[in-house]
This record gives sequence, structure tokens and C-alpha cells, in this order.
Amino acid sequence: MISWLFLAPFAVSVLISIWNRRAGYVALAISSAILLAGSFIHFDYIDSFVVIASLVWIFSSWFSVSYGEKYGRWLAPMFGSTIFGMVVILLSRNYLEFLAGWEAMSVSSYVLIAMNKKNDYPPFVFMAFSELSTVLIVAGAIYSFYLTGGTTIAFTKVDSVIPLVLFTLGALVKMGMVPFMISEWLPIAHGNAPANGSAILSATMTLMGVFGIVRLMLLSPISNFFGVIVIAIGVLSVIFASLFAYVSEHAKMLAGFSTIENNGAILAAIGFYMIAETAILRDFSLVVIIIFSLSHSLSKTGLFLGIGASGKEHFLDEGTSSSRFSRVGELLSTASLSGLFPTIGGLGTWMILEMFFMGASFLGYLGIVSIIAGSLIAIGEGFATAAMMKAFVFTQLRNGKEKGMRNEHTVVFSIGIILILLFILSPLFVGSEFLGGLPSVFVFNGFTIQSRFAAADFGLISPDYVFGLLAVFSLATYAIFRKPDTRSVPVWRGGREITENYTPYAFSNNIRLMLKKILRPGIGERSQYMAISDAFWAFMIILTKSYRKVAKGFTLGFMNSSIRWYMIYMILAFMIVLLLTILI
Amino acid sequence: MYWYEEGEPDGRFIGNTKKYSIYGSHYNSSIEPIHEKSAERKPEEFIFAYGPSTGGLMESVGLDILTPGEKITSISVDPNYKLRKIKVTGMSIEDALLRIERINGFHSASHSICFLRAVEDAIQIDVPDEVQLNRIAQIETERIRSHLLVIQKLAESAGFGVPVNQLSLIREKVSRIIGTQSGHRYFFAVNSVGNSRFMMDKLQEKLHEVIVDFRKIYDGLMESKLFLNRLQNNGINKDPESTGPAARGSNIRHDARNELPVLPYDLLDYFPIIRDEGDAFSRFMIRSDEIFQSFDIIKKINATAGSESMDYDLEKSSGTGMARIESPSGDLFYSVEIEKGNVVDIGMISPSWRNVLSFRKSMEGNIFTDFHFNWESFGIWISELGVDLS
Amino acid sequence: MKNGIWFLKGVRKGVKTEKFPKTGPVEIAPWSTEIKGSGEANCPTDAITNGKWDMTKCIFCRRCFPNYEPTGNHEIFTVSEKMHQFRRSFYIYPLDSGACGACNTELHALTAPQYDMHRLGIFFTNTPRHADAIVVMGVWTKGMEEPLKRAYDAMSDPKMVILMGACAISGGIMGEGALKSGEYNVEIGGCPPNPYTILAALLRARGD
Repeated sequence: MISWLFLAPFAVSVLISIWNRRAGYVALAISSAILLAGSFIHFDYIDSFVVIASLVWIFSSWFSVSYGEKYGRWLAPMFGSTIFGMVVILLSRNYLEFLAGWEAMSVSSYVLIAMNKKNDYPPFVFMAFSELSTVLIVAGAIYSFYLTGGTTIAFTKVDSVIPLVLFTLGALVKMGMVPFMISEWLPIAHGNAPANGSAILSATMTLMGVFGIVRLMLLSPISNFFGVIVIAIGVLSVIFASLFAYVSEHAKMLAGFSTIENNGAILAAIGFYMIAETAILRDFSLVVIIIFSLSHSLSKTGLFLGIGASGKEHFLDEGTSSSRFSRVGELLSTASLSGLFPTIGGLGTWMILEMFFMGASFLGYLGIVSIIAGSLIAIGEGFATAAMMKAFVFTQLRNGKEKGMRNEHTVVFSIGIILILLFILSPLFVGSEFLGGLPSVFVFNGFTIQSRFAAADFGLISPDYVFGLLAVFSLATYAIFRKPDTRSVPVWRGGREITENYTPYAFSNNIRLMLKKILRPGIGERSQYMAISDAFWAFMIILTKSYRKVAKGFTLGFMNSSIRWYMIYMILAFMIVLLLTILI
Repeated sequence: MYWYEEGEPDGRFIGNTKKYSIYGSHYNSSIEPIHEKSAERKPEEFIFAYGPSTGGLMESVGLDILTPGEKITSISVDPNYKLRKIKVTGMSIEDALLRIERINGFHSASHSICFLRAVEDAIQIDVPDEVQLNRIAQIETERIRSHLLVIQKLAESAGFGVPVNQLSLIREKVSRIIGTQSGHRYFFAVNSVGNSRFMMDKLQEKLHEVIVDFRKIYDGLMESKLFLNRLQNNGINKDPESTGPAARGSNIRHDARNELPVLPYDLLDYFPIIRDEGDAFSRFMIRSDEIFQSFDIIKKINATAGSESMDYDLEKSSGTGMARIESPSGDLFYSVEIEKGNVVDIGMISPSWRNVLSFRKSMEGNIFTDFHFNWESFGIWISELGVDLS
Repeated sequence: MKNGIWFLKGVRKGVKTEKFPKTGPVEIAPWSTEIKGSGEANCPTDAITNGKWDMTKCIFCRRCFPNYEPTGNHEIFTVSEKMHQFRRSFYIYPLDSGACGACNTELHALTAPQYDMHRLGIFFTNTPRHADAIVVMGVWTKGMEEPLKRAYDAMSDPKMVILMGACAISGGIMGEGALKSGEYNVEIGGCPPNPYTILAALLRARGD
């Protein structure tokens, strides 16, 4: 029962937030800090997810203290209960607890989105897909229960890969993988979630999906075939999402697609675990999953909070002024998402690509799969860099500069610093079997991280030396040349005065024109700015619309209230059924 | 007036002077308005300001390119950055001619000869055919050089080093030929009322070398698929009122040499070259073929043409005259009113205003990379557009 | 291979570059060179006063002929200050202030193989930021006054201003000069100046 002690502060925070928003956020931050500290008491691999999630929650709550003022009274409690649901997931020891947390998280986030509604579709679609994922996870749980001979619903090792398959499919929906991309970016993109909400949805809700899959994966037998399928889904998501991110005109939509892209990479890494031939490669892939999740969750939080601080929805909006701190913070977050040193994202990107290229040593078609997957992920990372550049320039550099420092800017800045700090400290949490040194060139033992799939190493990197050299050379240059002698001149524009600036739409239009077939102009609401949606969007929306029609007809004959209440009714009924199953 | 009479606005529209609207062979005092539809701007579009002073443009012109990135929605052309106010009214014909020559120096022969034909029409001088043929030789030599420049600029846009230099070589040869045969590389002070002092002696042999070289370059360019690919389907001109090579490349039979007997092209069996693709490639082909055709015309002109110098008494002459000829870029028109040997009224329509309109229409939906090919292929000269002549 | 033919064509044609300035001009149009003579001038721009010919005003209209005749001397320019920094590498930026087009094409002709200014280390640049000298052509016009000033400000020191053609220096017959005296270093006479003249002026201006 010890772990439930960590849950109680979150419940209390939610109650406090109903009474006082600011206090509630502060309480949430404190609860997250307690959880973070507590995870180190008895640390094993699964607890890394707790560390990542609590870091994100600390920063988001801190940010919300000032940011949450702009929204209604409902935001703080819903924010808190979403986190509460996620804590339940992280601390669960059996399927039922997991599901309870999953549902709590889904319902709270649905309310979070629905309350800030601009229109009806996004929340509804979101909920529909949440229920789909729940159904799949329940199916996986029931099958595992059946496999254990009907004895336990705790997380135990099983012989069949089917629970894992079902679980993964359910988690995929939540993570917004192809073809379920709309369930993730949609609510975020259409302004339905405020920045702090978007941060926890993108950074931690999707992390819960990863958590669930990894949990099950460690309990299931290895299946090469399923591994290849998972890699394929992951890689496809990377490619498509990075393209859509690049052509997005909405800041949060870009970030939402970036989440899908990163999660696709993590999913591919999970798939790699399932096809790895040696134990050491499996260990390496587990490290990759954690490092990549860590870098993604934190930098995505930094990006969303930076976007929130800039006050921009569409890139062409006015926005509020940025400060040097918010600029540095968001720059580091975008650099991390682009896979650049000296941020932890750079390490994550290096590791995942090393991992796939090591996979070339596998026999037969698995080696080919591995190489192709690695190359495509690299391509996706390239597009991600361009998309991140767009996000940074148009949310931070086109606003005026302000002198003072708001709370929001401090948070963004701190996240940026943490990203560098984690990079420097990375040898500490990589695991000793992947550390080494090159004493002959003054790189001492324990300072290099090596990728290896056998006794000899494949490649290596030394984060501390990278950072050190960068710092030393920069300072040396400054010391020698001092502040450079500069002359300020107006921009030369053919002899004219500058009137107009390059628009963000024009920035990505070359790709938009080249890929006209896949990226069709948006339908419906966003006619003012050319909205981009994927080909599945049209199909999905038709599907959900028709389902809604049927459901509506059924409801009106069954119940007299609105659809929303009906769905909550459905969920309640659902949980009752679960309870009955257990009791029986 | 031999070639123009007042009439209904009907037939081919040439353009507007300050007082009249000019048509194929009519003029009318009610000015025809030129409609310009202004494009609505979408929020994602911005105006890319190109020019006035920048690399890639030979003259100063302000180009506002409306674009959502890569694609061009529309272009507006502002030729008035280098607007010159040139006053010739109140001056004698010779003094006015000094200025007319320098409106568009590159097409100086066309401008001066057209002006002089309008003057000769006004004071009703019968100029002997020999002088006229000498003038035709000037215009056709100028046409050869002008078309060589356009083709050179097309190759320059493609970054096609060897043809650029070879075309530059022969263009300079033509400039030197003009300089030696007339005393000035741009035909300044070569023409006067009733006279034309372009030495025809050895002109044909000298030009023959140039044409042989050009034939080799032309054949090479026609084999270069990469170069032709940049021109084909680029900037299709559908403007029914277009002029010059732009019109003739779109199957529109507009050619002043064939329409008005201002200069005796009929003595030389002239016929216009027409193509129907309408793109930049078509205009390139028209210009290349016209280079060969101009040389053929010059070959037909007797080597002794135009050597006589005649004096005319201009001080007592008065009248109104209008003339239209084919400059290398299209229809060039002058109207003058002379009183006692002085110019009291003048109007000019250059082909560039129409070429700009045709260019703008053809650029809608085009992309940035194809911009220069299209711009150069129309042969627009801002100096004859951004000028206020009075 | 088809693509190789251009290279071969170029090589087969041989070297067409002249040895100017080591040798004199090969072929030069007479009415772009120095004018000498005596007697009545009949000059519309007052370029000839008391038998002396002023190259900054002459538009080569030939009205002074036959009292005055062209001599064939192409060096009709003045350089007030030689700047030796540009001896090895000289980047020029052309700016059309209000020219008729003849000066533009004559300047452009310097890249023709006969003259080939690149062999002498002179290059065109597309932006005044990278320019050592700005070559102003044409008369003063209201619209180009500001771009000219901006271009001058955009250039970094050391810099040179060159006025090309009678229009730019004195306005010729078409208007006013582009800049006032004292604002430029080099003036090249001609209407338009011959490419030989321009080349000689550029070489003198950088100390050759």
C-alpha cells in the first residue's frame, strides 16, 4: 500500500484547486516533486517513466500558476484529475488499477477539452477514440486473465503475444499513431486545449501509452513478426507526422504532430526490442526508449509552454512580447526536438539511429527492415528540424522584446537549462554496460557512451566533452576577440523600404506544393488559413459523424439528455460491468 | 496623313497617347480606359519586393510579386522609379530628335525612324525608297542585336556559360559593325528628316560571319533539352492584344511591317513568322528565326542605298502626322504636330506597356524559378515605359 | 555524350579575348572618342567653349562636325583618386538612375569575350553590400534618389563612386546629373561610353 501514499497528495491537490486555482497548481507541483523523490527509493526500470512524468508535471504546474488565470475555474481541477489518473496508471500493479487510471485520465482530459470548446467535433472525436483504446486494452487484460487460467489480474508473465498486441493497439490510438493521428493533434490543434493542458496531453498522456506497452512487453514472449509491424507503424507515423508538422500553420498543431513523430520513433524503438537478436541490444533499446521519452517529454513541454507564453495560436497572430529567457528556453527545447547537441534530445537521436544501424547485423530480412527504419527516422528528424525552426522563429522572434521576466518565461528558460543539464549528466543514467572511455585522447573512463551489440563497440559519443569543448571554444573566442566591432545597417531590399515579411505559410509552401496529393486542403472550419489535414481525416470524420447519427437516434429513443451525458453514462456502465466481472 | 485617319474605336488596339486612343489604322479622341483587376490578397500571401535596384535586372524597375511562397499569384510592375520627364514641345525637329534618340538607346534606330516618319507624314515629304531601304537596314540590324541580347539573357538565366559567352561575343561584333558602319554604336546622329546615313558597304559580309556563328549556337541550344525544358510551357501568353514576338509566338498575327506601309517592306517580300505554342520557348524561337530573317532582308537591300544626303526646308512646314513601325519588341507609334518647323505636340506608344500587361497575365500561377526566363522573353524596356514625353 | 558538346564547342572556338589594355583598341566607333578641332561648334549642350571640348557634357550628336572631329583616343575619363586596394579584386555594382538603356548594355558588354573584364579581376556583384564601387548611369530621377542613397550607405568602406556617361555626370541633354560634384571619384564621358573607355577608366581608378 506504500505506493498509494504518493497518490493521496494529488487527490488533495485536486480538491484544493476547486477552492483556489493557484494553490491547487502549487499543490500539484509539490505532489509531483514528492513522487519524483519517492521514485528513487526503490528504483527499477519502470520507475524511469515516473521520473519523466513528474518532471513534466512540476514544470507544467509551476507554469500554470500564472498562466491558468486566463481560463475558467474548471481548468485547474480537470488538469489535476488528468494527472491524478496518470499517477494511478504509473502506480498500478494490476490490470484493473491500470484501467481505472486510464479511464480517469481519458474522462478528465475529455472534460478539459470539452469545456474549452470552440466547436463540437474535436472533443467528441477525442472521446470516441479514447473509448476505442479502452476497449482494446480491456480485451488485452481479459485475455491475459484467461491465459493465467483465470487466477489473477495482476501483471504477470504470459506465454502468448496476444495481450501485448491488443494492449499495443489500444495504446497506439492514444498515442495518435497512423491511422489514428487525429485523436491526438486534433483537439490540441483546434485550440481546444490551453497550453498547459496541451503540454500534459502531449508529453505525458502519450507517455502512458508507451509505459503500458513497455510494461506488457517485458512480460510477453518475443515476436519478430509483431516487432516488424510495430516498427512499420512507428516509422510511417514519423514520416507523415513530420511532414504535417512542417506544413502546419497553427503553432500547437505543429507541436501536436511533432509529438506523433516522436512517439512514432519511440514505438519503432519498442519494435526493435522485439526483433533484437542479442540481449545487449535489447538492453540498449530499453535505454533508448527511456532517453528518447525523457527528451521528448521535457522538450515538448518546453515547446508548448513557450507557445503558451507567446500567446500565439496561428503563426500570423499578434502574440505577446517575448523575452531573452523565453527565447533561449524555447530555442533549447526546439533544438532538443531537432536532435541537436548539447541538449538531451541530441543524445536521444544519436542513440536511436545507432540502434537501428546496429540492427543491420541481423540475419535475413530483419537487417533490411532495421536499416530502412533507421534511414526513414533520420529523414523524419530532418523535417522535424525544419518544423522546429519554423515554430521557434514565428512564435518567439517575430514578437517584440520585453525587458522583465514573467513567471512563464522563467519556466520555459528553466526547462531549457534542464535539457542541457541532462545532456551533461547522461552518463550517470545510461547504465554501466554502455559506458567507456578513450584514455589515449584524454577522455577518461566513464565519460563516453557507447553503442554496442557485441563485445566491441559500434560507435561512441562523449556528451561531457562535447559540451566542454563548445563552452571552452566559445569562451576562448570571446576572451580573445572581446565584443566584436559592429556596424548596424538597415536591411538592403533593392533600395526600398521594407514593408513585408516572409510569412510562415510561404516558409513551408515548397513542400506543400510538392506533396499536393497527400496533403489536401482542409475542409470545414479553417477556410481562412489553408488547413492541412491528412487523407484519413476525411474518412474518420465521416465515420464518426455517421456513428453519431446512429447513436443519437438510439439515444433519443433511450434517454432524453445530451450526448455528453450519454457517454459518461456509457463509461459508468462499463466500469460496473468490469467490477461485476471481477466479483464474479 | 498617309496611314492614320480618325475613326471609330475598332480593330486592333495599340495604346493611348495623352490625347488619343490609337488602333490599327484609326485614331480616336476618346481615351479607352485600361482595366486592371486588383487581386484580393489572402492572409498567407505576402509581397516579395524585387527591385528597383538589384542584381538580375538590367534596368531599375519595381516588381511587387504577390506570393504564398514559391508560387506567384500576381505581379505588379512599377516603371516609374526611373521616370524621366522629357520635354520636346517648342523645340525644332532636330533638337527634338536628339532627345527622341535617347528615350530608349538600345532601340534608338526604331524610335528615331518612327518619329521621323511621323514628321515626314506631317510635313508631307516624299522620301525616296533608297533612303527608306537604308532605314530598314538600320532597324533590321538593330533587331538582330536586340534579339541576340534577349537570347543571351535567356541563356544567362539558365546559367548556361558557354552559349552566354558566345552570344555575348557575336552581340559585341554586331555593336562594332554598327559603330563602324554608322559612326556610333547606337545609331545616334545617323538619321534626320529625309536622310539616313548608314553605310551599307561591306555590311552584308560582316553580318554574314555573325549569322554563321549564330546558326551554330542556335543549333546547339536546340539540342539542349535541359535549356529548352526551362522555356517550354513557361509563361504561356494568351493576350489577344499582345504585340511583337510575344504575339507572334501565340499565333497572333500582329506585325507592323505587314500592316502599314510606313516603311517599304513590301518591296522585300516580307512576311511575319508565326508560331503557336505561346510559351517562352515560342518567343525564343520567333526571335531566333527573326535574326535569320533580318539578315535575309538586309541581303536584299542594295549596297548603295541611302548614300545621298538631301536638304529639306523645314522652317515653313506644318502639319500633323502619325506613324507606326515594328521595333524589336513590338509596335512603336509616334504622333507629332509640327508648326513652322517646331514640334508643338507629341505622343508616343512603346511596345513595352503592352508587353508588361502580357507578361503579368502570363505570370499568374507561375513559380519563382521560372520568373527570369519569362521576364526576359518579353523583351521589356523600362526606359521607353517610364518616360513622360511632352 | 551530348552534354559535353558545349565544352568542346567553346574550346574549338579558341581564344577571342583581346590584349587590351596592353595593346590599343582593336575596333572602336569613332563617335565615342575624344573630339578635337577649332572654330564654330554649334553644340547643344555647350560642351565646346573657346575651342575646348568638355567630355562631361558631350552627347556625340556630331553637330560640331566638320570643324571638330573624333580622334580615336578612347581615354575620355577623369579619376580624382586612385584606390590601390582594389588592384587584385574589384567588385562593381551598377545602378540605373535614369538611363536610356545604352549605358546599361555597354556596361554589360564588358563581360563579352572581347573585353573579358574578369581576367582583370573586375566583377559584377548583385548587392551593394559586396561592392567596392557603385557605377551610376543615367540622369537624376526622383524615384531613384532614395535607392541610390541607400545603395551608397549599404556599401562598406573603402568605397568608390563612378559616374558613367554624360547623363550621369552633367545630365547631357536629358536632365540633371545624378550626383553633385564632390560626391563621386570617377567620371567616364561618352553617350554611351565605349566599353574600352569604361575598362580603361576602371583600371586607372584602381591604380593600374
